[in-house]
Amino acid sequence: MTHSMAQFMRRCSFRFRPRALAAALAGVLAIAGSAQAADPDLPGFIHDGTLTVCTNPTLPPMTFVNGTDVNAVDGIDMDIAHRLAEYWHVPMVVTTMDFTGLFPSLAAQRCSMVASGIIKLPDREKNFDAVSYQDTALVVVARAGTPPLSSMADLSGKTVAVQSGTSYSARLAKENEALVQAGRAPIIIQQYPTEDQVVQQVLIGRVFAFASQDVELYYRQEQLHGKVNVILVPPYPEYRHFALYIRKNAHDRELLEQAIATMGQNGQMAAIQKKWAISPDAAKALTRTPPAPMFRWDTFFSALTSTAFMRGAFITLAVAVLSHFTAIMISIPMALALNGRDSLLKMVLKGYVSVFRGAPTLLQLLFIWNALPQFLPIFREAWFTPFLATWLSLSINESAYQVEINRAALGAVDKGQELAGDALAMSRRQVYRHVIFPQALRIALPPTINEFISLLKTTSLASVISLQELLAVTQIQVARTFEFTEYYAAALVYYLGMVFFFLFLQKRVERRFAWADRHKATANES
Amino acid sequence: MNPDPKTMPDPSAMISVRNLSKLYKDFIALDRISFDVQRGEKIVVLGPSGSGKSTLIRCFNRIEPHDSGILSIDGQIINAQTDLTQLRATVGLVFQNYNLFPHLSVLDNCTLAPRLVKKTPRASAEEMAMRFLKQVNIAEQANKYPIQLSGGQQQRVAIARALCMQPEVMLFDEPTAALDPEAISGVVAIMNDLAQQGITTLCVTHEMGFARHIADRIIFMDKGRILEITPPAEFFTNPKTQRARDFLDQMISY
Repeated sequence: MTHSMAQFMRRCSFRFRPRALAAALAGVLAIAGSAQAADPDLPGFIHDGTLTVCTNPTLPPMTFVNGTDVNAVDGIDMDIAHRLAEYWHVPMVVTTMDFTGLFPSLAAQRCSMVASGIIKLPDREKNFDAVSYQDTALVVVARAGTPPLSSMADLSGKTVAVQSGTSYSARLAKENEALVQAGRAPIIIQQYPTEDQVVQQVLIGRVFAFASQDVELYYRQEQLHGKVNVILVPPYPEYRHFALYIRKNAHDRELLEQAIATMGQNGQMAAIQKKWAISPDAAKALTRTPPAPMFRWDTFFSALTSTAFMRGAFITLAVAVLSHFTAIMISIPMALALNGRDSLLKMVLKGYVSVFRGAPTLLQLLFIWNALPQFLPIFREAWFTPFLATWLSLSINESAYQVEINRAALGAVDKGQELAGDALAMSRRQVYRHVIFPQALRIALPPTINEFISLLKTTSLASVISLQELLAVTQIQVARTFEFTEYYAAALVYYLGMVFFFLFLQKRVERRFAWADRHKATANES
Repeated sequence: MNPDPKTMPDPSAMISVRNLSKLYKDFIALDRISFDVQRGEKIVVLGPSGSGKSTLIRCFNRIEPHDSGILSIDGQIINAQTDLTQLRATVGLVFQNYNLFPHLSVLDNCTLAPRLVKKTPRASAEEMAMRFLKQVNIAEQANKYPIQLSGGQQQRVAIARALCMQPEVMLFDEPTAALDPEAISGVVAIMNDLAQQGITTLCVTHEMGFARHIADRIIFMDKGRILEITPPAEFFTNPKTQRARDFLDQMISY
């Protein structure tokens, strides 16, 4: 970075005063009392003596899961992070999450740095400091056999897939402005949450091309079995470097630059580049591989029996069961209050139900994970795991739905039942516990199990806040191997298995309510 | 026969009311009612629908709290401070539509309240329940669910359920109104039987046979007021008010 550029950056940080103030405040709250200033050579972003690296492990060879263990993140970025941790003599922790969650997490101080194969861009450097570590180039890739293009304008009217949250779409939009001005059709941009999905769109022929970095393509050549090739290297000067991102701090940035420079001098950088074979010559040798079969049964069965999938399914089930249980516990007193007389509490509860039924579940998850720590620093501490965040947000969300089921069920119990309980000298508690609730339960049970099944599938949204549930595990495996049909099929088997189990359970439980059906009651008798 | 409304309630009476009134917003359901019911007395409350009969007897176990006047049950003044558990254990109520608990067997319907309220052990609660179920001729259905029984059978279970609390007063709120004639005779037979045993009984009914032969006195109500309190022989042969005469004419033609 030039001297003038660095000065510009510094000026920027003053211009964005409110953000600087917020960051300073957050910093004070987070590190108050810790012995952060003990080692002057240690950058400020190393909290509590640990280098916490946030990454979205879906971009080989920069950052990806290179095996069946979803917690073992591998790649160039991880190797560099390990060397940095060694350099500063601190332990390293990797936190994986959705790409769109990376920068909010960095701002929320959930990580020391973001190392996720991210391009160094001036737009991003307005809010964060970036230190580059690897040269690269933007490439436009299409199916093998597609003739090369001479300029971006040749993409006019064609569909291009990019990963959402990356800067490619903004760059393509700029390209579109020029195209429209010239009276030509714009490029149709499709955005996908993961890089593997972007590549899949080209492989299945839905889109013409995708935008990516050359480094990724060299690595992908082997997986793609020569099915794609580069059709254009656009002359964009800004897509030349991968960078590590940290929160704005000039001193920290200098320390990180020094560390990277040291790694360049002592040959560590070169060793990493050699290990991952990210040179065009290395890539060319890998293009000769036989075409893959339609469906690899061995991949499917090994996914079905893998501990990664079992663990993912267990997390899915656990978070769904816990969330629904909590939701039911919250919603019973809520339903009683809502069925009662008008009061301030009732108005508040009505507002609660409207908000949490009205807002998309995905938004609620993102809010609790990314926005909540901005207000309450306690939620950025390590104890607030993705599992807890999902549990919390799905419990609240589900309680808003469950309360309506409970209300309807309580209302459906004949009023004479309460009268009869009263007339038999039973207390309010006893009437509810022994007369109203058992009857309301029968009415509420079928819709409640429907809700649960729906919730079980909703948990897949939690992959955006890095919960390693079944779908997140599936996506990571797909990103690694590109065998998407096989892994999707395995995930489907797990989801269906779980849902069918609960439907079976529903039948069994309903059979216990024989008292509601004259014929069944008689059949039970005999 | 009518007590002076200005006097204090009679502490020796089982039920004693003075100037009892009940309002639903601006509708007067009970209008300054005063009378006494002695221990062991059997009273039938007659009157056209909407005359306040059900509201009146429901005041006695405070399922319908009264708005003004004095109500005394077994010498105790009933008001907002009254221990409802004790009151309702003393005063049993049988509803027109039985209100059995559908999720419990006949036996459990009978034992639930004694076990919860009186903390009666299950075994002795069941023993007592079987005794009352025998008395209402339905012991053989003890393990069935209410939905498996006919209306008449269900009403007999409801009576047994109320008796299991061993009340001193039994209130019947049109107990036969939802039943077919055959079932009515069975329920009336049980009410006769109970009356013979000397339990204080107040019954809102259109069952003229019961009113004529079993009741000690008839209370005739219209528009929230008591128009007549007389022995049945007098009421049926020589009603004092034109309103009662019209009512009886209608009952006979019906």
